[in-house]
Amino acid sequence: MKRILQCILLVSLVFGLGALSLAQDDMAGGMSFEFTDEQIEASPYLQSVLSRLDETYDTSDFAKEGPYRIAFAAQGTSNAWSALMDAHAYWYVEHLGEEVVSEFMYGDAQRSADIQVPQVEDLLAQEPDAMILVPMGAAALSAPVERAMMQGVPVVLCASAVETDNFVTEVGTNLWTVGANLAQWIVDQLDGEGNVLVMVGVPGVTTSDVMEEGAQAVFDANPGINILDKQPGFWSTAEAKTIMETWLTQHGDNVDAIWSGGAQMSQGIISAYLDAGLDIPPIGGGEWQNGFLRLALEHDIDYLAWQYPNAMITLCIDAALQILAGEPIPRFIDFSGVIPNSEPFTDEQGAEYFREEWSDDVHGPITMPDEKLAELGFATMDDG
Amino acid sequence: MKLIQTYETGAGSSPWRLRKFVADYGVYIALAILLLAGALLTPKLYAVDTIAVVMRQASQLGIVAIGQTLILLVAGLDLSVSGVFIMTSVVMAEVGNGRDEMVIPAIATALALGGIVGLGNGWLVTKRRVPPFVATLGMLVLVKGATQAYTRGVPGGFVPEILGIVNRSWSFLSIPLILWLGLSAIFIFVLRGTAYGRRVYAVGSNIEAARLSGIPVDAIRISIYVLGSLFAVISGIVLTGYVLYVDRFIGSGLDLDSIAAAVVGGTAFTGGRGGLLGTIAGVLIIQILSTMVVLLGLDVEVQFIIKGLVILGAVTLYSVANADS
Repeated sequence: MKRILQCILLVSLVFGLGALSLAQDDMAGGMSFEFTDEQIEASPYLQSVLSRLDETYDTSDFAKEGPYRIAFAAQGTSNAWSALMDAHAYWYVEHLGEEVVSEFMYGDAQRSADIQVPQVEDLLAQEPDAMILVPMGAAALSAPVERAMMQGVPVVLCASAVETDNFVTEVGTNLWTVGANLAQWIVDQLDGEGNVLVMVGVPGVTTSDVMEEGAQAVFDANPGINILDKQPGFWSTAEAKTIMETWLTQHGDNVDAIWSGGAQMSQGIISAYLDAGLDIPPIGGGEWQNGFLRLALEHDIDYLAWQYPNAMITLCIDAALQILAGEPIPRFIDFSGVIPNSEPFTDEQGAEYFREEWSDDVHGPITMPDEKLAELGFATMDDG
Repeated sequence: MKLIQTYETGAGSSPWRLRKFVADYGVYIALAILLLAGALLTPKLYAVDTIAVVMRQASQLGIVAIGQTLILLVAGLDLSVSGVFIMTSVVMAEVGNGRDEMVIPAIATALALGGIVGLGNGWLVTKRRVPPFVATLGMLVLVKGATQAYTRGVPGGFVPEILGIVNRSWSFLSIPLILWLGLSAIFIFVLRGTAYGRRVYAVGSNIEAARLSGIPVDAIRISIYVLGSLFAVISGIVLTGYVLYVDRFIGSGLDLDSIAAAVVGGTAFTGGRGGLLGTIAGVLIIQILSTMVVLLGLDVEVQFIIKGLVILGAVTLYSVANADS
């Protein structure tokens, strides 16, 4: 009897663990991804991120008493995503108080590496205790990052990488995996066979290139997937619509799925389909952008959305403070799962993410209070 | 004693006639060659759907190219058009705010602001003698900066749905196409059949001679800059209706493409020579090239290289063809 009970317990445990593992897969939207040795070998980005995942930086040399003067070399008010990143930054610094951050120096790069390079020099001339940098170009910003580190200013890379390894830590996510997961979702939707169009962001920009690299690796591993064409949509709705219109004249309803490197482009893709009156195929490449979610809900579109929350700046500020406190810090900090609701999601969960009161430009998740969002003109507050 | 100097121009000789033929009809020959290449390489180019897409996309460029051609005819240049596109898009969302009944006030506001931009360009070029390149580049930075300062990087409001009417089409005929061809026809007539048009050419050909002839040179040039900005506003409205969304990078590239279309179409940088029929052909060449690159599945870099070669080829051809004139 005891043996039978033990057997039942063992079987239950096995099933329980199995169920738990399935549940974890579900929670991540079936997003787990295993790299092959060849894929790692072929990608310097992947090698860098994977190696830094296990590394810790000894920050004792940077330890000093607060309050701190922190420099923030931002993308600038060039679009809603970066405007919200700035808003999060100012809100968070205010929230921490002057006894923690006494001065927050800001540089607006206007999304240009040419502007950002001298700007970083100007910020460094003010001798900040730490610098948070949203790099506008991996190659262009490498030398300024090296100079900052040489000057004794610890650098936290936020949302993107540079070519040098001489910085303290990077906050972001594995973009190769993001691209690969979007592609894998498409492969799964099509049961491994079908015609796919690929719309990448801006060729030459690290974020875009690395995502494309990940996607290509997955498509290459699935010979049943036929890539009809690949074109850049320059992260622009208008440009994406122009390309999609031309694609539709060429391929019509022969397109089984579309891989897209950004929600703005996905909006253009959807708009072209709506004008053409054709059924919209699954799109691997939405984001938590309210305008995209609005369209997707209105037209019942199948999609997988990835996330790149501007709220990650709060983690970047935390990282800078941790460095200045002299605490060891991981060399790669993945926001996914740390910032609430920042995991990928599909159309099945889309309605939970859409916010009627937000403007179309808002990229979630937002970690600052709703009142702050409304004050900035991104949301309307219910009078009640 | 009256000194009469004569020049040997070779007018009437065979090489002269050939060069004149190239100068007058080169762009149409280039368009015909491109269409032939399209028929051989991408027969899909001739499907009604593709023609509709090409014509609709060409219209967005075509409308702004009308203004650019007029400005080039008075030996000017307008780099501020991409700032006007963004400003127009923001105005349509801010003033329109998703309400169809507000679309007319939104259009009127955009046109008024565009007019002010054109007036500023014209004033700088004529009254302050600022070179057109510098004046309009400065205006571009100013307009973009002001738009950004106003929106803080995030335009509020929504584009009125009714603006989506610009996406209506009947076979290959669409509203932007009708608008482009209609405006082109009007301004072809203005340039060829009115005193104003003749004065535009006179000012562009020789500004001092025009001034001595009693032509109000400054008024003509300012009016042309205002028209150029108004065409940019109209193109901006079409673009905003096209995506129904305030895209901060809306129309990026159309500024330089509009100059390229006019130049490929035979309008001289030095002013006084060219016209809108050539620009229509130039716009079609640039748009067909862009479409063919996608239809052929070529990399976008190829598109830029081909476009660059076409522009350089056209400019070289015209400079040789016009060498004697």
